[in-house]
Amino acid sequence: MQIQPEAPAGSARERAARSTAFGLSLEVDPGIEIPGIPDAPGVCDLGIPAPGRPVSALASQPPTRVRLDPQELERRWSSAEHTPGRVRELRDGETVLLSVELAPPAGYLLHAPGFGRILIAPDGTELICDPEPGSSQWSALLPAQALPLAATLQGLEVLHASGVVLGGRAALFAGPPGAGKSSLAAALLRRGAPLLSDDTVALELRDGALIAHPGAALLQLQAAEHERLSARERAVLGAAEAFLSKQRYSPSVTASPAPFGELFLLERSTHGPPVERIEAVDPFALLASTFNLSVRTPERLVRHLDLAVALAATERIYRLRVQPGMDATRLAEIVHERLPEL
Amino acid sequence: MAPTSTSELLAARVRLPQHVVHRSFVAETVVLNLRTGRYHGLNPTAGRMLEALAAAPTAGAAVPELAREYGVEAAKVEGDLFALCQGLLERGLIEMVDADPA
Repeated sequence: MQIQPEAPAGSARERAARSTAFGLSLEVDPGIEIPGIPDAPGVCDLGIPAPGRPVSALASQPPTRVRLDPQELERRWSSAEHTPGRVRELRDGETVLLSVELAPPAGYLLHAPGFGRILIAPDGTELICDPEPGSSQWSALLPAQALPLAATLQGLEVLHASGVVLGGRAALFAGPPGAGKSSLAAALLRRGAPLLSDDTVALELRDGALIAHPGAALLQLQAAEHERLSARERAVLGAAEAFLSKQRYSPSVTASPAPFGELFLLERSTHGPPVERIEAVDPFALLASTFNLSVRTPERLVRHLDLAVALAATERIYRLRVQPGMDATRLAEIVHERLPEL
Repeated sequence: MAPTSTSELLAARVRLPQHVVHRSFVAETVVLNLRTGRYHGLNPTAGRMLEALAAAPTAGAAVPELAREYGVEAAKVEGDLFALCQGLLERGLIEMVDADPA
């Protein structure tokens, strides 16, 4: 479904950019470029353009505003009525890589040293950014962390998974770090599948149906995986640049929202069939595949559980065994071959 | 209120507090305590027992149906219910109240 938003006020130079990602309609202030989320003026794709398909409830919601305003962030955070409580922390040894603090009514303050801070309103409809001086890559925080958190606050559930669209449906890949989610998505991209998202997939449960929303058009591969690819294979994945310890690609073929198709849980294994339907899926494996551990409101906790119920009810959850010597290219072949019969 | 004996449990009504929700999966029931944010897993038998307890006017009233369903003696069901309820009470997942006067 396409929506024609009202024409933004002001000159073309001053106008906010419009785009969609993680099921959110975004209005991004000039001066902010979000990697993998290009300006798409006049068009917000939040539905599924096919008869009989569910249309996202989010299509009727006001846009989520992304602003660059360090003073306003400081004002709101310092005037919060409650002492901030740390709800999430990501460390590498003694070094804090990322923290999330909650202080109502200001919201969730995401802080990544070396990048900057982003204050996300409690309802997820506003993100106020305060880049760290000199940080040229601060806006990577938006698609990597802040927008998935905002999507959760707006009623979506974000899985720690990569996904592509195969046969018109979303095929999602979850698993522990290093399982090969991104490599598999990249291999499927090379076979022509549009990218839905890498690392974070926003799911919307609407009238019993699950809709997968695209994230940022970015795909990150470990340096070793990047080295294994030929120049031709790399070219299919789009422009590449070094980002932290990885190579970050910007694929040009990306997906629209798609109905849920399959969830593959990747695991390293030495035996068993490569693809196997899980008859009685472990609910805790589904619950643990969430990307968001910061939002603990009762409404969200119940939604998280209901999403796990909905995923299990599809009976389309599969174990995907990565066996010794099996690279992402072979795994993608297996998924392609087996999908019609799943 | 925690039962000190099986007979005390059987005479009481067991219910889920408002801050507790549960959902059934194929091989497990997940019970979520919204106050603590913790999820708890029950095997299918315990999940069925919880369902029966929540629907019955007293814990004792759930016993005959469960005994019939599982083909065991009532005394065995009573003992299992007592152990289950103690565990659930400790975690704040159920509460025991006086049975409604019929």
